[in-house]
Formats: sequence, C-alpha cells, structure tokens
Amino acid sequence: MDFDLARQAQDGDESAFAEIVRRYSPRVFSVASRFFRQRTLVEEAAQEVFLKAYTQLGSFEGRGSLEGWLTRIATNTCLNIVRGAKRRPEYTVSDLTDDEQSWLEHQSAGDGGEPASVENSLVATDLADRLLSVLSPEDQQALLMIDGEQASIKEVAEATGWSESKVKVRAFRARKKVREAMEKLLSYKSGRVSG
Amino acid sequence: MKDKHITEILDKASMAALSEGELNEVRAHVLECMSCRGAYEAARVSAVVMKSRAETMIEPSPFFQTRVMAALREQQAVESVPAMLRLWRSAKALVSAMAVTTAALAVVSFMQPSQTTLVAEPASAYSAYSVIMDRDADEQTSYEQVLSTIYEDDDDAR
Repeated sequence: MDFDLARQAQDGDESAFAEIVRRYSPRVFSVASRFFRQRTLVEEAAQEVFLKAYTQLGSFEGRGSLEGWLTRIATNTCLNIVRGAKRRPEYTVSDLTDDEQSWLEHQSAGDGGEPASVENSLVATDLADRLLSVLSPEDQQALLMIDGEQASIKEVAEATGWSESKVKVRAFRARKKVREAMEKLLSYKSGRVSG
Repeated sequence: MKDKHITEILDKASMAALSEGELNEVRAHVLECMSCRGAYEAARVSAVVMKSRAETMIEPSPFFQTRVMAALREQQAVESVPAMLRLWRSAKALVSAMAVTTAALAVVSFMQPSQTTLVAEPASAYSAYSVIMDRDADEQTSYEQVLSTIYEDDDDAR
C-alpha cells in the first residue's frame, strides 16, 4: 500500500504525494517538535522533510514502513538544522525565572510528581529545554526519545540510523549530564552550595 | 549493597525503565548516602521535565498539505528551467549594473573635453595703466582723467 503510493508519487502523481503528506504529517511534526517548540520552525522543518522525501522517493524500497522511512528523514533533517544553529551557553541558576525556581522548590520538596496544570507543564518544558541545551543535538534526541517518550533503544536506533550501542552511549552520557546539571540547581535551591 | 553508590544505576536507564529491584536498591542507599540522595532527587526531577518536554507536540495545521504541495510545485518549476538560464536570471541584475557602469565610465572618459595642460603663459603685466585702460573701456574715462589718476597714484606712492 505504502510502496504503491510512493511509486505513484514518484511517477508524478501529485494526489499520491498529497496523500503521503496528509497521512504522515502528524508523525513528521511529532519528530520536529522534539527539536523545536515554535510552530513556524516546526512547519519549516516538516516542509523541508517532505520536499527531501519527494526527491528521495526512489530510494524507498518498501522493506520497512513509509512512516519509518519518513521518520528517519525527519530526524536527520532536523538534526542538520539544529547543528547549523548556534548553541546556547551553559545556564546558571541565576538565569532561572521565578516560576522555574518555585517549581523546582516544589519538586525538591517531594510533593511535585507530575506537572499538573498547563502553567506547571510549561515551566517544566522550559526547564527541560534549558537542561537539554547543554547537550549535543544527537544526545538531546536520544534522551528525549528514551526518557521522554519511553522509546526503546531499538526504536531510537531505527529512527536515527545509529547502532544500538551508540544509542545507549548517547543516552547514558546525556542522562548523566542532565542529572548533574539538575543536581546543581537543586543543591543551590536547598542552600547546600554556597556562593 | 548499601555501600555501593547508585549513580550508575540512575544513569544507565530512564527512571521509568528501572526494575523494582533496582529501585529498592536505590531507595535503600539514599537513606544513608547524602550525595546519592541528591543525585536521586535530580534524576527524579529530570525525568519529570523530560516527560513534560516530550508531551509538547505541535499538530499540523489544516493548510500544511497545501503549503507543501505549493512548495513542491515551485521547486519543480525552478528545476524545469535549464541551469544556464537560471544562472543568467540570477546574474542578470548584476550584469546589467556592470554594463551601465562601464558605459557611464566610457562616456565620462571620451566625451569630456581633455583637461588643459598648464602651459606657462607669459605673465600679463598687471599695471596701473592697464587697469585704468580697462576701466576706461567700460566707463569711457577720458584721457585727462587717466592722466590725473596716474599722477595721483604717483603722489600717493611718494
């Protein structure tokens, strides 16, 4: 089914390609949303993914799913976009907003659990972005998929084209770095670190 | 077991993927190890923020499909034009500007009269007489007036 659709699109059937876009844009958007939070950036990346996919339709041999094939193109396209962008410098606790600081206090008091309200969720998401900004785009991807989306090592390997051992190493390194960064913030908040 | 620090357990897998045995080991250890308690807290809060970040998904707008198809048609239109023609189209403005500049420079170089060289002309005598005679032409000064003016000048000089 997917293979036929891809072949029709490759042969110049516009409606077939439009159907591919309609069917798989939610998947491509979900991949792009891991990298970007602004709608405009997500849409630009998703468009680039589909245009790239169109030119590479001939390489889709139908062995795997079209969704998996598009996911890999989406992941690599977004990684390339992010690699080209300037990375933010490492943040300090003084960069945190009041909301972020109070959210952390709330969490470290042990009564946080899941972020319940929309506001709390936004604060948690902002904090996640701050923590992720200290990682390479590849490590961010591995950590978000495994710890955020509960994806398996195999799923990450398929989505990125990396070996499973590479995924494990990336996730381990990223998790450690993020944990240490978070530990610094929590220690500061509880007054365990002076100056 | 309580003496073994648990940071490696925390880093090797997500909190959600830790087995019950591993979680018990971690909880038992952090009761007595202050540094590992901080690491455990940080791992727990990090897991919460990562989950929250992963849930932030942007849905495609209803116009996205139309947008992609328009971009595809535009791309195909660009690709259908021969490469040399595309190059010419992109360079046309630059080439035109250069041609206009060259023409303007040519006009300036050939049409402007050649600059006069500084030929040493004999210095014209600038005497009181000539000044007066010039004035004479303009103002129709009489000969007598000229003479009186010359003699006045001589008197003044003395």
